Amino acid sequence: MPPWARTALSRIATAALSLWILVTLTFFLAHLTPGGPAYAILGMRATPVGVNQVNMRLGLDVPLWMQYLTYLGHLCTLRLGYSFLLNQPVAHLIVMYAANTLLFTSLSIVVGTLAALAIGMVQGASWNRWPGRLIGAWQLATYATPSFFIAGMLVLVFASTLGWLPAGGITDAHMTEPGPLSYARHLVLPVATVSLIVAASLSRYFGQSVAEELERDYVRTARAKGLGLRDILRGEVARNALRPFITLLGLYLPALFAGSVVVETIFDFPGLGWLLWHAALQQDYPTLIGVVLLIGALTIVGNLAAELANAALDPRLRSRTLA
Amino acid sequence: MSPPLLRIDNLCVRTRDGGLLVDDVQLDLARGEMLSLVGESGSGKSLTAAAILRLLPRGLVATGRIAFEGADLLALDEASMRAMRGGRIGMVFQNPLSALNPTRTIGRQIADPARLHVGADARQAREMALQMLAEVGIPDPKARIDDYPHQFSGGMRQRVAIAMALVCHPKLLIADEPTTALDPIVAAQILELIGGLRRRHDMAVLFISHNLAVVRAHTDCVQVMYGGRTAERARADVFFAHPRHPYGRALLDAAPDLATVVAAPPGYALPALPGQPPDPLARPPGCAFAPRCPAVAPDCEVAVPPLRRLERSEVACLHPVATPAGPRVPAPEAPMSASTHSSRPSLLEVRDLVVRYDRSRTILDGLSFDLAAGECLGIVGESGSGKSTLGRAVLQMVAYQGRIALQGHDFATLRGRAFRDQRRRIQVVFQDPKESLNPRLSVLHSVAEAARLAQGLPRDASLAAARTLLERVRLGAALYDRLPEAISGGQAQRVAIARALAAKPALVVLDEPTSALDVSTQATLLNLLRSIGRAEGLAWLLISHDLAAIAYMADRIAVLRAGRIVELAPPATLVAQPHDPYTAALVAAATG
Repeated sequence: MPPWARTALSRIATAALSLWILVTLTFFLAHLTPGGPAYAILGMRATPVGVNQVNMRLGLDVPLWMQYLTYLGHLCTLRLGYSFLLNQPVAHLIVMYAANTLLFTSLSIVVGTLAALAIGMVQGASWNRWPGRLIGAWQLATYATPSFFIAGMLVLVFASTLGWLPAGGITDAHMTEPGPLSYARHLVLPVATVSLIVAASLSRYFGQSVAEELERDYVRTARAKGLGLRDILRGEVARNALRPFITLLGLYLPALFAGSVVVETIFDFPGLGWLLWHAALQQDYPTLIGVVLLIGALTIVGNLAAELANAALDPRLRSRTLA
Repeated sequence: MSPPLLRIDNLCVRTRDGGLLVDDVQLDLARGEMLSLVGESGSGKSLTAAAILRLLPRGLVATGRIAFEGADLLALDEASMRAMRGGRIGMVFQNPLSALNPTRTIGRQIADPARLHVGADARQAREMALQMLAEVGIPDPKARIDDYPHQFSGGMRQRVAIAMALVCHPKLLIADEPTTALDPIVAAQILELIGGLRRRHDMAVLFISHNLAVVRAHTDCVQVMYGGRTAERARADVFFAHPRHPYGRALLDAAPDLATVVAAPPGYALPALPGQPPDPLARPPGCAFAPRCPAVAPDCEVAVPPLRRLERSEVACLHPVATPAGPRVPAPEAPMSASTHSSRPSLLEVRDLVVRYDRSRTILDGLSFDLAAGECLGIVGESGSGKSTLGRAVLQMVAYQGRIALQGHDFATLRGRAFRDQRRRIQVVFQDPKESLNPRLSVLHSVAEAARLAQGLPRDASLAAARTLLERVRLGAALYDRLPEAISGGQAQRVAIARALAAKPALVVLDEPTSALDVSTQATLLNLLRSIGRAEGLAWLLISHDLAAIAYMADRIAVLRAGRIVELAPPATLVAQPHDPYTAALVAAATG
């Protein structure tokens, strides 16, 4: 077997193992919580007979380990099961909701990351001085503020007071402006909220990374060659400072998909976070595990993508990653 | 006489709160000349060099006058200064790996100054880089120009750094310890290269070093710095014949010299300089060297002695050394017992040792040797020869094939507790003492912890044991409560040795124990190690690329090359009749 094939195989095996552990943990943790989907469906005053009937229909009457094995079996054939509540295939639900989240989160990531790079560069070049310190204070303040508060303030100013933008949802209630423009207008405030948080936390890492790189010997060499600060930042430092940043981004992105729960709930934005939240509340196991599985897979793909991006940036890693 | 190319007057470097790091330094460098600025850590030599290019660390301010080709560098605007850097003045730094950008090809990095300073376009700049690479002796430049720094060896990287500094043919090259991180044969080649380029391009060189022996053969002038001031300056022949400042003299004497240590009688000890290199922010009112000076007089401690002319030297000393530097007179030492290693039983037995990396690369290729109790075996070899791996194999820190037995017990046959107890009988001291100490443990507790772990002593007994050990490495009680960050490199290395001794070892592996230390501290530590070894009957495995230091310490020297022992002999034999060509090259590089 050529070495690259062995590496690829071991990567895939590791990924599969991680996903299996994730599924198992989620499965048992979800089933351990008191109550059950039957109560969610029938209400809290359900009779034991009714509960039994629902459980039988949902296949929840067999021992837990059998349910687990059945679920794993289905998973191996890529079947995610049916949502108890919405009575639709989970895969179908995920695709529907993920499309919204994908658009919303990608926009937030792109805006947030670009802002983070620009802000971090300025901060790194003026670390421990003005304006670096001011940026640091802003980052800390934003980071310390809960996302629901930021979202609330934005709604208060731009929706309630100024009335420029809708406060939530995804379509206009009165359908006064249907179509893509309305959809875009609904996206502005959620995207602004998440971008702001992304920019604040990521710019701090990038700023620190830039500041550290500026202390390195090769920067001194570059200065001794007669390069100015602008050239050094762009030509020498940026590439090196990006490497730790990208590793972080790879870990951070999937968390963003999961972390959009709060923002999506506040803006009543029907995305994956919203779906996860409702599935958890109503103990809709198949949907819950399906969404968690997707986030897990995104994490693994994100890490791999970061690793590959780093290899492309760093000639020293290139040989190691591909070998 | 034409004005010098570079003339520094009254250069001072201050911290923000007024601490003087460089104090009133003068320096003259003529066109095409090489001047060596020599001193230990804290002497201000590197700050002086950095001040010339105005590349001082943030928070330091230079005042005075630095005249270069008629311009005062300290008064230039930033744009003109950038034109100087890399254009008229090139600079090379100590560590050739970290000084190059890891993510850019060397070709691009070398081409930068050409694009910046002579207006070359991308193609011309690449052409100039190719030419320069050929000139600094990179074989097949066309094939290597698009390689990255990590694809080159240390010596080749330094050649790349030199190419980068010289691509615009500057009239001055500042070289800040360019050979310190390299092994001696490679270092000699780099010096040879700089010398050749200097003659070809009529370029002046300001060479900064802590080691006088390195510059001896190449330099025109020597300027010795101590505690931020100039101690002495003179033409090289004048200086080496008769160093006038007691510090210059001590520096010359303290560096082990291969010919001297090999020819010396058994009782010979290196003339060591007591005390620590100066803290430039806490200098005594008088001469900075007074606390360590063997010839100190009361008037030395009153006022700073000015630099004054004395025959053909200039020296800042009230009581300059009167006698020229003759052949060294070995100092007498207590005679040692005359037992030779061959009559002693073997302590460590290494047979057919093989270490492979990644199943394919062989690092050690069938080594065999014996080490007797009380013997010091020196291991020399270039970087990559496997000498550090040998130390790690003996310490059972890497997987190996073959037999390593201590006191007759083969490690391969031992399991569990027996294995751990046996392994504890071999201790190690690493190159960088500060890195190897726990930064949150005081000196005393660092050693006490080792005693407690190794001997299972209760708290009080372990503290008592630690005190005894620290006395044995001659560390003053005033330092016991300090953290590693608050002690010097030499002191930290003594703590590391005390910690190794706490386990009551039979064998100590010393991996480059002195190469991170200043020259004056090095001699003290080597003498200490020798006396401890003799007093306790300890065996040392001393790994180093400093042949002179090894020849001073070792009973026998093993020369390692590509994972094999190419020669194993007592120092005198090895130096007088090297059999292997590599050994001969090593001896040649060490004798200069």
